Amino acid sequence: MTETSRLWPCAIQGLIAAGGLLLWFVVTQSGEVSPLFLPAPDAVVNAWVALVRSDEFWPAVGVTLTTIAAAYILAAVAGLLTGWLITRSPLLTRAFEPLVSGIFAIPITLFFPLFILLFGIGQESKLAYGAVYGFFPVALNTIAGFAHVDRRLVDAARCMGLSRFGLFRHVLLPAASPVIFTGLRVGFFICFASVLGGEAIASAAGIGHNIALSAELFEPARMYAWIVCVVAAALVLTALVSTIERRFRDS
Amino acid sequence: MAAISVRAVSHSFGLPGKQNRIAALKNVSFDVAPGEFVTILGPSGCGKSTLLNMVGGLLSPSEGAVQVDGTPVLQPLPERIAYVFQESTLFPWYTVEENFAILLRCRDVPRSEWRTRTLAALTSVGMQDFAGHYPKQLSVGMRQRINLARGIASDTDILLMDEPFAALDEQSRMVLGEDLSALLGRTGKTILFVTHSLAEAVFLSDRILVLSARPGRVKATVAVNEPHPRPPDFMLTSDFSELRNQCYALLRDEIRLAMAEAVA
Amino acid sequence: MSGPAAGTIAELAPARRRVAAGWLHGSAALRWGTLITIAVLWEVAARWSGNNGLVAPPTAILRALVTQILPDGQIRAALIVAVVEITAAYAIAVAGGFLIGVAVGWTRLGRNSLFPIVLFFYAIPQVAFLPLFVLGFGIGPAAKIAFGCSHGIFPVIVNTIAGMRNINPQYVSAARCMGISRAGIVRHVIFPHITGSFFAGLRLSMTMTMLGVILAELYVSTAGIGYFTRQFADTFDPAPLFALISVLTAIAIAMNAMVRLAERHWLRWKG
Repeated sequence: MTETSRLWPCAIQGLIAAGGLLLWFVVTQSGEVSPLFLPAPDAVVNAWVALVRSDEFWPAVGVTLTTIAAAYILAAVAGLLTGWLITRSPLLTRAFEPLVSGIFAIPITLFFPLFILLFGIGQESKLAYGAVYGFFPVALNTIAGFAHVDRRLVDAARCMGLSRFGLFRHVLLPAASPVIFTGLRVGFFICFASVLGGEAIASAAGIGHNIALSAELFEPARMYAWIVCVVAAALVLTALVSTIERRFRDS
Repeated sequence: MAAISVRAVSHSFGLPGKQNRIAALKNVSFDVAPGEFVTILGPSGCGKSTLLNMVGGLLSPSEGAVQVDGTPVLQPLPERIAYVFQESTLFPWYTVEENFAILLRCRDVPRSEWRTRTLAALTSVGMQDFAGHYPKQLSVGMRQRINLARGIASDTDILLMDEPFAALDEQSRMVLGEDLSALLGRTGKTILFVTHSLAEAVFLSDRILVLSARPGRVKATVAVNEPHPRPPDFMLTSDFSELRNQCYALLRDEIRLAMAEAVA
Repeated sequence: MSGPAAGTIAELAPARRRVAAGWLHGSAALRWGTLITIAVLWEVAARWSGNNGLVAPPTAILRALVTQILPDGQIRAALIVAVVEITAAYAIAVAGGFLIGVAVGWTRLGRNSLFPIVLFFYAIPQVAFLPLFVLGFGIGPAAKIAFGCSHGIFPVIVNTIAGMRNINPQYVSAARCMGISRAGIVRHVIFPHITGSFFAGLRLSMTMTMLGVILAELYVSTAGIGYFTRQFADTFDPAPLFALISVLTAIAIAMNAMVRLAERHWLRWKG
């Protein structure tokens, strides 16, 4: 690709970002849009500064992040184990792979009221809900990864006399790991979104709860300030995860 | 004693009594003497690869038995049999050298010898400069050369080869075929080779088993009495074209049968 | 072919594929057997523990379904509204996503400059904006349709673009040489070519649309499904809650099945 053809996309992206910001300014200044729905950019910036300095900011962030971390660890461990165990036999794979993928095609949010019923309004229900939702992509991709290793490579390894462990270490794991990593990544972002969503729908703490609360109290600038935090966190995490993934792929 | 002995082998895929059950092989018997190069020639879908998988211990026949050096084959026998597959089975996540390392580790070769053994094997196929490459960085032909070298580096008496040159263009096939003939003249391995190329079969083999259309039976055996290593000029002789024509005459009806069945 | 799934350790056992193949046909039986066993164990455990736990046994759920959920006109209305919302959101997401996808994916410049922006929005957890949708669109169906659509549209856009990226330019050149119009190229070359990727997007889009609508339904607890789930949860009445969720699950399964049927119908040519 030439220098100019790489420049154009950047220029267009910059223009769109600048245009979006400009539009935000103009629309809020004109008074066409209710400030309840869209406050002015400077109001959001002020609210954000006030929010980060307030006493409730870090505890709320801490609660949400701990819940996400705990939910994700549960989801990842359970998903990897389940996927591994199911692919130990072609029969189990055929029996349960459609079940896992079928359940994952249902929005598991449907079951959220059950989690509230069983675990209460506290963080436990969000933890369980995030863990269950995140479990499915990890399990599905672990199954897909191990069940669809190129048959010929396995045959070749057997003909060379690789031990069971050697087959796992040198063939199955490297062949399956890209697919499994995808599952782990998708699972993480599903945990992240599920915990936030759960907090927004029914909870007493956390970032999602604060977004919903700001909306209920008609404090749009504060709500936007929280949203900015979530968007920033999502972008940082996306970048982090793809860096980790690239590092793994290279080694 | 025969190096490989196939006795009354029949095989079907699918469940007994089901509509989709396919009879792949029917009552196939043959022996391969130590040091002999035997080619299985047949129309596509006649069960050539199935037969090779059975000798390799990857598949048990529905009926009959396969023996190697007098012992029945029930699973892959890495110390006795090396298998070169149709397409490169180099592990894509390892470099060429690491691929050899796995094999040599399985062969219990001391670590200090790995590098020399690997380079020797690569040199024999002219690929010594590519030890540090990943398979994806090489062309199909280069990959298959290395795949072949890996099979030979297994240092087993018996080598099974399932259309090892199928993915190559005709020119590369010729050159690799010559290399193989020269290489085998030196090592004296027992080889069971599967192909659907008539020229390849005649050029390389001591004996050709012509298989019928599905279900595969041994239709005829054609002997090629020409010592190894065979010079490229062998392909220009009248003996060569006569044998080639003989094989084609045996195969022609079977190919038509196989094609008709493939459409139906 | 009925070859076993490739490459599992279990197949290391000495060449036993023939025997394994016979068992594979029992996979559906094993799946349903496991599900039925779980239901039976669930029932037995609930009865044994005196039936006062928060997990309603299957028979109690069935009873609640027949006596409480289905006869209730208000719940029926809420369910129908939810189905309408999902359908509307899905229709907008598919049509809009396809158009945006084609527009962005048409040129290389579009793909390089606009696709990253699409991915940027896709990476943001939209649930953070849920209260905003309710502020903007009110607590009625509009907010739920909009939120469902905001979830469902991205898989369609992304998969449309992904499909367009893989188009063999020779087909487009051939169509141009035959004098086919731009719309004709979309209809006869691009659309058939991207169908595989596009339908994968449609399937995911259905799940995401339902997710968005249900999230919004649950968030708005003063009306619709969210009202009833909140009622049952607050009064610790598990049986009707389980029953209501079972109905919603059945609806979700049915809507997924419809997408798959459509896919099978349109992709016949792929064999």
